[in-house]
Amino acid sequence: MAACRHQDTLALEPGLEIDPQNGRGPRSLLPRGVGSLRSPRIGVYTGPGTSHSWLWFVDLFDRRSLNDVVFLDDEYVRGGLLHGLDVFVVSGGDTFGVARALGREGARAIETFIRTGGVYVGSCAGAYLPMRSSKEYLNWFNFTDIKIANLSKNLPDIKRLKSKACTIYGCGYVFHAVREEVRLRMTGNAPFEGVGEIVAPLYGGAAMVAERPSEVLARYCGFTGKTLFLVDEGEAEKTLMGRAAAITTKMGDGRLFLFGPHFEHPGFPAANELLVKAILWDLRDKPLVPKAAVEEVHFVGEAKKSLLRDIKREISNARIVALGIETFSLQWKIGDKIYEPEKIRVFLEAVWKRLGGLERCGGICMEKGSDTIMADCAGRIVRTLREMKGRLDAGEDTFDLATGLFDALRRFTMVFLEVYFRSVRFLNQEQE
Amino acid sequence: MEYISSGKILVVDLATGNASDEELSDDLVSQKIGGVGITSSLYQSYADEDPIILGTGAFTGSLVPGSALAIFTAKSPRTGTVCHSPVTFKAGMELKFAGFDYVVIKGKSPKPVLLWVHDGIADVVDAGAMWGKDIWEAGDDIRKNMGDDLIQTLLIGKAGESGSDLAQIGINYGGGTDRWGFGKIFGDKNLKGIALRGMGLLEISDAEGFVDECLEMLGEVKKGACAGKSGIGDIMVALGEKDAKEWLAPLVHRNSACYNMPCATSTFICMDEDPKVVVESEKPEPGVLLSDVYGLLAFKKAGFSLEQAGRALKACCKCGIDPVAVAELAVKEGKKDAQSIEQALASMKGPVSASQAKAFSPWAPLQPVFADFGALGDEKATMDWWMRRQALAYIFGIHPVFVTMSPEVSEERMLKLMNIGTGLEVSQETLDGVIAGVCS
Repeated sequence: MAACRHQDTLALEPGLEIDPQNGRGPRSLLPRGVGSLRSPRIGVYTGPGTSHSWLWFVDLFDRRSLNDVVFLDDEYVRGGLLHGLDVFVVSGGDTFGVARALGREGARAIETFIRTGGVYVGSCAGAYLPMRSSKEYLNWFNFTDIKIANLSKNLPDIKRLKSKACTIYGCGYVFHAVREEVRLRMTGNAPFEGVGEIVAPLYGGAAMVAERPSEVLARYCGFTGKTLFLVDEGEAEKTLMGRAAAITTKMGDGRLFLFGPHFEHPGFPAANELLVKAILWDLRDKPLVPKAAVEEVHFVGEAKKSLLRDIKREISNARIVALGIETFSLQWKIGDKIYEPEKIRVFLEAVWKRLGGLERCGGICMEKGSDTIMADCAGRIVRTLREMKGRLDAGEDTFDLATGLFDALRRFTMVFLEVYFRSVRFLNQEQE
Repeated sequence: MEYISSGKILVVDLATGNASDEELSDDLVSQKIGGVGITSSLYQSYADEDPIILGTGAFTGSLVPGSALAIFTAKSPRTGTVCHSPVTFKAGMELKFAGFDYVVIKGKSPKPVLLWVHDGIADVVDAGAMWGKDIWEAGDDIRKNMGDDLIQTLLIGKAGESGSDLAQIGINYGGGTDRWGFGKIFGDKNLKGIALRGMGLLEISDAEGFVDECLEMLGEVKKGACAGKSGIGDIMVALGEKDAKEWLAPLVHRNSACYNMPCATSTFICMDEDPKVVVESEKPEPGVLLSDVYGLLAFKKAGFSLEQAGRALKACCKCGIDPVAVAELAVKEGKKDAQSIEQALASMKGPVSASQAKAFSPWAPLQPVFADFGALGDEKATMDWWMRRQALAYIFGIHPVFVTMSPEVSEERMLKLMNIGTGLEVSQETLDGVIAGVCS
């Protein structure tokens, strides 16, 4: 556990290590009793309703060389592409938006995936999704009997960030008492045994109540100097302290891991470590369903250089305008989620920082047609951003552009990262 | 080249519209250090292809106080010799962060184009719609079309487009710095200009040592001769124009500094708005940024009021023409107001007086400003001092006005910073050789 930002609060058992490639190191406790080890095949939900936080999962998987990653929007989920995955990740965003996009068909696909042995990892909105609810759209996803604790009929007095402090939930509210850092104490339940306290960031995630204490992995236990209180501190304590922050529960042959705080956030390596541990724990050793054959194309030499230069040109143009837009104080409410201009660059930087790696490698491979999709999306992003900047300069509304922009950013980033991970896997195979 | 550098030389062939890049080698840096040492070397390498070279100095864009400078090197249409002119404000820093240390521009485009350099990419884009527009309008178009107000521009106006020997390359809205007619070179190449924006980072070999040395230098500068000095008025006074500050005072809005300059050397005056009111201007062009001290002095000495001088300088900025030459010609032609000058700008032609300065643009003060650099002796000795100081500035990327006011920018210190920052071992002997080469 080198270079841990939170050494003062981390109490990971000495000697506990995870080999990211194989799932267990020489002194690892992971995974339990599994013979043959392999890297998990992970699906990341990138469809409507997601915010930018799925990119934090991407960073984590990339850092830990968990390269067998695919990106699935709502159509892919409904279309059966969960079949053959080990893990399906649903990140933060707008829970209602995710549920609405996936629909009843998507809910059944996820349920089948879990019941047949898949691992569902839900963070923030992704954790709310499978909890018990009677609300429209969400009621298709009643996979667990875990309840939301930060639910109230009467909204407490909100001190700041009103737009982020609550979401209407039927006749009541899901309210968020704090943002930023919270302290979490592990319960000792597997797979987080041997760990004491950590800190992780909370951005609208749940406090949870589980029927069975054995399912609780971590509880909220305190705040730090970086905790931002949205309600009175006493109210925040009452809402969060002792409530479950991370839970695992069985469902059929599979399992769900639900995280209120963002264990995947790149600034919290101790939480990251636990998340990887959850993903690799109990990894099924049955043979994977063969991947569906796709027509793959390879770009090498001048063709690769030209393709990457074209992407780089557009992303550079987009970053430059996006930075200019960040000087404006504004927010867009898309679905139930608030977006600030700073979120634009989170997508762009996720691409930008990986271009150098692709430039250095011998070739890149992708599903046929991905290059065209990337070019179209990137061009659309730059055009939209420039129009947005023009409108902002003129003091005009930009909501319609923002909706389309974030959709294009999500699609572009998803396709680019698919190409990136496919190329990394190809390179690894070549080296082997 | 790994440190304090983007490590890349961009080569743009305007005839084909193609851009390629080459590695900046450690060997070249070890031999020529940077800035004008390398632009001169690149000029010689491409001499047969009518090049104009834009380059950063070794420290441009770094923490070294005054590290604002980039350089143009080309054969002057006015003198017929290879000359260098400074690129100030934030353009040098932006070039380095855009991923290139040097840009070789060769050939002639068949149609008007703009070179858009951003984050390791160089695009030669159509500038047909911009051709014919003045520098300010064209700069506005670029910033609007590209969607970023922070883009730095190096553009020509009507003077460059029409092939005037007096044409300058205007930097943003602040006018040009060359007395060599470099704007004509752009015009001849059908190059409206260069737009720069980058979000790169610089690596430093010994980052802590480098920062420590920079902070020590800054501490000394703050206690030195330029402490408390600010704006073009103070520089004019130092050059002997004793009433300059009083002359400027009624229209001064603010003083302005180039990238990482400990002392502001430019002053914004408002001719069309109350300069004492500090609010977001409702007028698109309420005044002008005065950065050319000799240009301003020329109009003052010609008997212009500050308001008229400001308007004349604004017209020069927009047209992209040397204001010193314009002031001289205006006097010869008996023009006494900005309006008559503005109307005549497009057709103004030399000859004008030649400067005693060689190689480096006599835009920077030709004598010590504020500071005492010891006994310089006669005129020749002063010019020798000036040439060596300018060479030092143009090699290391230090603002050429700053080196005339700050003895803290010493050769010894520049070499020390160079070696800490790059991990190379550049000697005084090498520096002497480079200076001798670029001053010859």
